[in-house]
Amino acid sequence: MEIKINNKKYKVEEGETVLDVCRREDIRIPTLCSFEGLPREAVCRLCLVEINLTDKLVTSCTLKVCEKLEVTTESEKIEKARRINLELLWADHAGKCATCKKNRMCELQSLAEEYKIENFHFVPRKDEMTVREELALVKENWSRVVVENENLCISRNSEFCVECRRCINICTEKKFSFNHRAGDVVVGTPYDQKLECSFCGECVRACPVAALTDQNNFGKIIQDLDDLKKIAVAIVDAGMEEKILEQLAKIGNKDKIDGLFAKLGFEKVIVLSEKDLRDEMIENFKADFARKEKINFNDIAVFFISSEIKLKAKKDKGLDYVLSEREVARLARDKISQKVKSKS
Amino acid sequence: MENKIITKYWNKIDPLNIQDYIKVGGYDALKKFIRDMDARTALEEIKKSGLCGRGGAGFPTGQKMEMVAEKTEKKYFICNLDESEPGTYKDSSIVDNNPHMLLEGIIVSALIVGAGKAFIYLNGHYEKQKEILAHALEQAREKEFLGKGIIGSCYDLDIEIFQGAGAYVCGEETALINSMEGNRGEPKLRPPYPTDSGLCGKPTCVNNAETIASVPWIIVNGGEAYSKIGASCSPGTKLYILGGAVKKPGVVEAPTGTTIHKLIHEFGGGISCGKELWFAQIGGASGRLITENELDTPLTFSRDCPVPLGSGAVLIVDKSVNIYDLILSWTGFFRRESCGKCVPCREGTFRLHEIAGRLKDGEISERDKEALEDILWTLNNTTFCPLGKFAATAMSDAVEKLGILGD
Repeated sequence: MEIKINNKKYKVEEGETVLDVCRREDIRIPTLCSFEGLPREAVCRLCLVEINLTDKLVTSCTLKVCEKLEVTTESEKIEKARRINLELLWADHAGKCATCKKNRMCELQSLAEEYKIENFHFVPRKDEMTVREELALVKENWSRVVVENENLCISRNSEFCVECRRCINICTEKKFSFNHRAGDVVVGTPYDQKLECSFCGECVRACPVAALTDQNNFGKIIQDLDDLKKIAVAIVDAGMEEKILEQLAKIGNKDKIDGLFAKLGFEKVIVLSEKDLRDEMIENFKADFARKEKINFNDIAVFFISSEIKLKAKKDKGLDYVLSEREVARLARDKISQKVKSKS
Repeated sequence: MENKIITKYWNKIDPLNIQDYIKVGGYDALKKFIRDMDARTALEEIKKSGLCGRGGAGFPTGQKMEMVAEKTEKKYFICNLDESEPGTYKDSSIVDNNPHMLLEGIIVSALIVGAGKAFIYLNGHYEKQKEILAHALEQAREKEFLGKGIIGSCYDLDIEIFQGAGAYVCGEETALINSMEGNRGEPKLRPPYPTDSGLCGKPTCVNNAETIASVPWIIVNGGEAYSKIGASCSPGTKLYILGGAVKKPGVVEAPTGTTIHKLIHEFGGGISCGKELWFAQIGGASGRLITENELDTPLTFSRDCPVPLGSGAVLIVDKSVNIYDLILSWTGFFRRESCGKCVPCREGTFRLHEIAGRLKDGEISERDKEALEDILWTLNNTTFCPLGKFAATAMSDAVEKLGILGD
């Protein structure tokens, strides 16, 4: 079958969606709710396109290809729809980027940049607001935000949530759902209970913004890495290289894996699969290393670089920190760009 | 006489007594269906009648029933009695005044589509109606109009009442089905349409209560007779709910294609004393605003009709009304009732309400005006389900026709 996209013909298979075709053919369509392998929800309304079969805008992520289909992916109308919807989402985020964990690694942020969302139509500036309005706003927002830092693996902050449903769909344990309705919607746990699950970390991987992030004490990590007295050892799980490079690409970092850890302040790098990680192993390694290098046992900080963020909760293996690929990228973002800045 | 179909016996019979209904020819349609007709011939009559959905969308009922009737697997029939459009209480009035007419309609319709099980999806706030319906169901079962082998035939049918939690969006059929399946009340992606894959994945026919209540008359009097009533594009009668500044507010039955002017003056007894008409809103909070010079528009379900009939609510607003209060109440309704699934509706209705609040306080800024235009546009063009469009209708009209922004 053949369809036309932006007046060019493309060969397509039956059952494919227009978004699938565009992804394959490298035609840019912005999306926020669609994610690899997950059911298409069509809730972000960013992938809207125009077609020859109706006057209405349709979501390309759910539109199946058919004979004689002609798609337009860029027009004034489409641009307008994307801009307004992004602006509406962005209104809740404006001004929070600088201090955000996901700064420069955030899908919403890059979309806002791509579509030049600069106008904050929807958030009244403080000095223009009456006290009553401000109170109302605080009240409204109050009910909407759920922050949870109780568990050691996943940090939740619904302030940043864009309700894309990726976490809801990716979780095999069905831990997330929509709570409340309309503007009060919070993606949260059933009955707002504490998050308790196997902490596979899939939801953190899927989250496009900083609503679900890796739990850690970043200040202390940086302190340990920068401490000259301390020796930081990175134990890199199998298969992490690719994942880390993928994350680095997001922030435009072109470092090679080899030099990266040294740049981040690690003194030693070991490659070891999580499967081979035995309980006593780290303790023994630390003792050996301390004897060999003639340093204090407590001055060795062992970082396990792995996607298995559930290990964050297991302190018995002697690991001081567990860092995911996202946190490595975050370290690179904060540490390497800082160095560049201080040099100039 | 022909102008009254649904309301014909209102206040004349005891709604709690099935015998009263039978005395005036009740359940004749069911008897006729079982003795003289089969599903196919009955469906032909419905199609011939031109009956279309009274919930607001105006989809041809016969066509919908046929799509389900064609299927051979297990099927369901659902009577949509969610009715939560502000100012609309026609369906609950049907239950209050003549519940057996609705039951008869459900039984016949369910048998036409070949469903073995029918549900009444009742609005969560309708406690009294639930009792009336439960009572009526019991009576119908006693008379063998329900259950196994309906009045000695080989037809089986059971009807169950399912009470929702009172969400506006659950009037939309896919959201209604979601709600019945125990999921969050929010619309599903279409296709698949409920007629192909509805309740529990089975073909499901969802019809509005008023539509269903018209079915017995069509079966008894024939589709052709029905098609001659009212406007030819969407024939039949319609329940209008008159409210606001009219002398006789309430539910009235009139043919489709009646003008708003006629509704106000003939059925509503004219504008209340000392009041001056400003505009009328047709179809509840999601309805369009009609100013004085458009009052002669006939109301139909046709797509070409400039004024969609919607739920049939006609709100007469006089000049003493504070429009900003009214707008705040509309936007507040949609800000509460949006399901929150898609971005434009969730955020748009929230911001719209925020702006309506500032508008009321006289603190609207230029930036707000720009934002308002954008929000209304995105609600109109990009939302997941029609609720977003509904939320924008009245506000758009208020800006355009009433000049509320003061330009």
